[in-house]
Amino acid sequence: MMAISEMVHAAAASGPAATAVLLAPMLAPLVAASAAVLVGWRRAVSWSAVAASVVILVSGVLAAVATADGSVLTVGGTLRADALTAVMLLVIGVVAVIATWSGVSYIDQELAAGHTDGRGARRYGVLVPMFLTAMVLAVLASNLGVMWAAIEATTIVTAFLVGHRGGRQAVEATWKYVMICSVGIALAYLGTVLVYYASQHAGIGEQGSLDWSVLVANADQLDPGVMRVAVPLLVLGFGTKAGLMPMHSWLPDAHSQAPAPVSALMSGVLLSVAVYALLRYRVVAVAALDLQFVRSLILVVALASVALAASMLLAQRDYKRLLAYSSIEHMGLVMIGVAVGTPLAVTALLLHILGHGLAKAVLFCASGQILASEGTTQISGVRGLLARQPVLAGTFALGVAALLGLPPFSIFVSELALARAAADAGLAWAVAVALVLLLVVFVAVAGHTAGMLFGGDAAGQRPPHTPPHTPSLPRVAAAPLVTGLIALAVLGVVAWPLEQLLDAASAIAGTS
Amino acid sequence: MTDTGYVQILDLVCGGILLTAVLMLWRRELAAIVRLLVVQGVLLALLAALMGVRESSTELFVVAAGVLVLKAIVLPAVLRRVLRDSGEAREAEPLVNVTASLLAAALLTLLAYGLSRPLVALAPSPTTRALPVGLAVVLLGFFVLVTRRRALSQVVGFLLLDNGITATAFLATAGVPLVVELGVSLDVLLVVLVMQVLAARMRLSFGRTDLDGLRELRD
Amino acid sequence: MTASGLTAGALAATAGQLALVVGGAPLLVGLMRQVRARLEGRAGAGVGQPWRDLRKLLGKEAIRPDGSSWVFTMAPLLLLASTLVITAVAPFLSTVSPVEGVADLFAVVSLLMLGTVALALAGLDTGTAFGGMGASRAVTVAALAEPTILLAVFALSARVGSSNLADIVESTLTTPAQVLSPASLLAAVAFAVVIIAEAGRLPVDNPATHLELTMIHEAMVLEYAGRDLAMIELASAMRLTVLLGLGANLFMPWGIATTVAPLPLLGAAVVFAVKLGVLGAGLAVFEVFVAKWRLFRVPELLAGSFLFGLLAVSASFFLA
Repeated sequence: MMAISEMVHAAAASGPAATAVLLAPMLAPLVAASAAVLVGWRRAVSWSAVAASVVILVSGVLAAVATADGSVLTVGGTLRADALTAVMLLVIGVVAVIATWSGVSYIDQELAAGHTDGRGARRYGVLVPMFLTAMVLAVLASNLGVMWAAIEATTIVTAFLVGHRGGRQAVEATWKYVMICSVGIALAYLGTVLVYYASQHAGIGEQGSLDWSVLVANADQLDPGVMRVAVPLLVLGFGTKAGLMPMHSWLPDAHSQAPAPVSALMSGVLLSVAVYALLRYRVVAVAALDLQFVRSLILVVALASVALAASMLLAQRDYKRLLAYSSIEHMGLVMIGVAVGTPLAVTALLLHILGHGLAKAVLFCASGQILASEGTTQISGVRGLLARQPVLAGTFALGVAALLGLPPFSIFVSELALARAAADAGLAWAVAVALVLLLVVFVAVAGHTAGMLFGGDAAGQRPPHTPPHTPSLPRVAAAPLVTGLIALAVLGVVAWPLEQLLDAASAIAGTS
Repeated sequence: MTDTGYVQILDLVCGGILLTAVLMLWRRELAAIVRLLVVQGVLLALLAALMGVRESSTELFVVAAGVLVLKAIVLPAVLRRVLRDSGEAREAEPLVNVTASLLAAALLTLLAYGLSRPLVALAPSPTTRALPVGLAVVLLGFFVLVTRRRALSQVVGFLLLDNGITATAFLATAGVPLVVELGVSLDVLLVVLVMQVLAARMRLSFGRTDLDGLRELRD
Repeated sequence: MTASGLTAGALAATAGQLALVVGGAPLLVGLMRQVRARLEGRAGAGVGQPWRDLRKLLGKEAIRPDGSSWVFTMAPLLLLASTLVITAVAPFLSTVSPVEGVADLFAVVSLLMLGTVALALAGLDTGTAFGGMGASRAVTVAALAEPTILLAVFALSARVGSSNLADIVESTLTTPAQVLSPASLLAAVAFAVVIIAEAGRLPVDNPATHLELTMIHEAMVLEYAGRDLAMIELASAMRLTVLLGLGANLFMPWGIATTVAPLPLLGAAVVFAVKLGVLGAGLAVFEVFVAKWRLFRVPELLAGSFLFGLLAVSASFFLA
């Protein structure tokens, strides 16, 4: 371990290695995308997307090793990686590996079932890696304006992924998704412009700057009046992309219509990337404004999101929408961490992002398999799954258990740490409110899932068009799900590989 | 350029931008709205060029040319295509009638003025004093988005929002860094293209581009 | 020039202004009808026709409907008197006036409103269906138009720092570039719409029709005859003239006299007549090309002009 670290450091000083570590995760998906452009959907192409995801993951690990001691990798002033970036790269890499891995069999099944054609599959093969590139660029960009553009780019590349299945519902979901997210993110751009305006008058020089490290260094000189307008715009804008209240309504539609691996990526990483943007801005905002203003603003948004998700989960009839609302709930929890903002809270929320990403990746991919085998997304249409599809039902059940924060999975650890951090910061009332809401969520989700897994095999009630059961989960589809669950459990039991990295990241983004 | 001449032209251009935004709220013929969008694009380019003269920066002239091409030529062309394909010439009865929209626009303008007070206070100058115009256009764009029901009108609302932000950026900061400007322009262009394709799909599957049809996904 | 000479000159200017407007207003209406007639391919009755109508009406007995009260009798007098006062104080020929303080924006708008209200009350007083309908429509239009005039002129007065009309005109004379400022342009648009609405022209009201579904002004005065009708016709023509004159002098004041010497005054009278002639003819041409709007779209137009007025006010504050 130490040897690798020293090696990377030695290389980082010389430049090319840092360049490779930061450029590879962006270029590898592009290669996979161009392969798909050239030859369409082939076995090799589908695996090249997995390979690209592995490259992202490996770069994340290397970046983590290099930055865990607080050092920073940069390439030409435009790309920059610190410990926080490394955590996000790891999250993107892990979720991308699981999503693209199960995407291989997903698209094959879709093709076999006639849900999509060669063109659709090729488009999928091109857009998914580009989606990954945009997200990697968003976390690597040192300029907050470029980060904004990259996050907006994710909306564009995922638009046609959401509408992958075609038909009225897909068009509706895509329109809402593109419209609401573009408008929301446009507000974030307005906020970015205002931050830039403030920076021009903060003693940085006539030109001002949108470079994050420069802004942080001069944050206390940013004009509070301007920042007071800019920060709510940023919270609203990036909050839209993170699926937070009040502009959350695209999320359940988009997540329920998108192909399962894309839902996994959107829910597991895209939302977190938007949170990452807010985390970066929070450091600037807290220094420029008073902590109380920023904290109460974010806390209101966060608690409202959790409350909304809890109320919608209770009466949910569609299991993909169930997972989507659960994403809103978890983003709300993460935002409580952002609002608290102490180093402990940042450590906890980063661990939570990682755990949520893994759990959602597993669950959405499993739900894609359930949809393929049962032919419906209605909760009431799926009964007694455990008896018929033990492996699939087992992974789904364990994923839900992880999502609900049961030990030994890592979400249990991160939720506890979040609660402690919030209580330490004098926000015990928020913890109490969140716990009550979490109880509601627990009852709702557990109840719905239990129905799907155990309920009597209501063969008579099932609509006649249900396709014949596939005998059991294909191994290529099961492997990524099981891998994800194991990773989740390992993270929950032994967080040591990440400890130093998370500490370094929380030193960057946390303020006491 | 003399100082008073600069202020005079700046004020005229900003007034024009706000006026076109208000007229877009007033008119129902979508073709007329697209024409207004062209005028607004030209005015935005003028604003950028004016800033270029003021700051004597060639970069801003390049940006002005880019704005002219994107906002006065390319985007309106895309919208006209949507319009031609859809064959729907008029906005359906909007959710809020025109009289109420115009009065709401008056309120939004005042709100923009209030919101921009701290922004102007940071660096008072003739240029930043025009900032409320940019914010007012943003708010009007938001209003169009919320109250109009045709797919094309919503795209217009989005573009209005974006034009307002662009105007704000020019007025407040004489333009964001070039790399960001490029990214933003590219994103806007792509978003509008995506929306064009979506509008076409919407027409195929719903037979019209009235957003009232989007009612299938709900809890 | 002594103080008394100044006053005498100013009085002369006011008298000339009154004579010009009272004598010229029917001619302006005649000119507009003639332009319209020619454009529609008719010969037209000639520019002097409104005067001939007035003479004929003045020779006839004023018949008042049964059951109408003093309100009905007083309304024409009030309308004519209020219009005469505006005519006397507004800066049409010279910015120097013997009644300096009265030429106030708010006073002028209140006087205009007074006339409108008097006529609306008279319309209600007759107790006929048409009178009531016309009155209700007129008040609806006025409720939106009056605040707009206030806003539009207020936008102009904000930069001068005075709501005195003569001061506004003088300030525009000294710094002509102001006319091209957004505040001034927006105010001009708002003002134009209001003139159309207040004077009862197309597309808000059709002055030439007695079609019961559409008329506003004509419905209110349907019961008047003889002398009373003559007074109302004259006052209406003068209101149009005053509104056009205000518009002309607030936004294009060139030619107005800043002293009370006879020669500039004479020049100002000629320029003023030409300005009004051109504006009136322009309005008539415009009317040929528009159709009357349905009544429920009229508030839309007026809300628009109100918005322009408000934008003008805000622009004169934001961008100053």
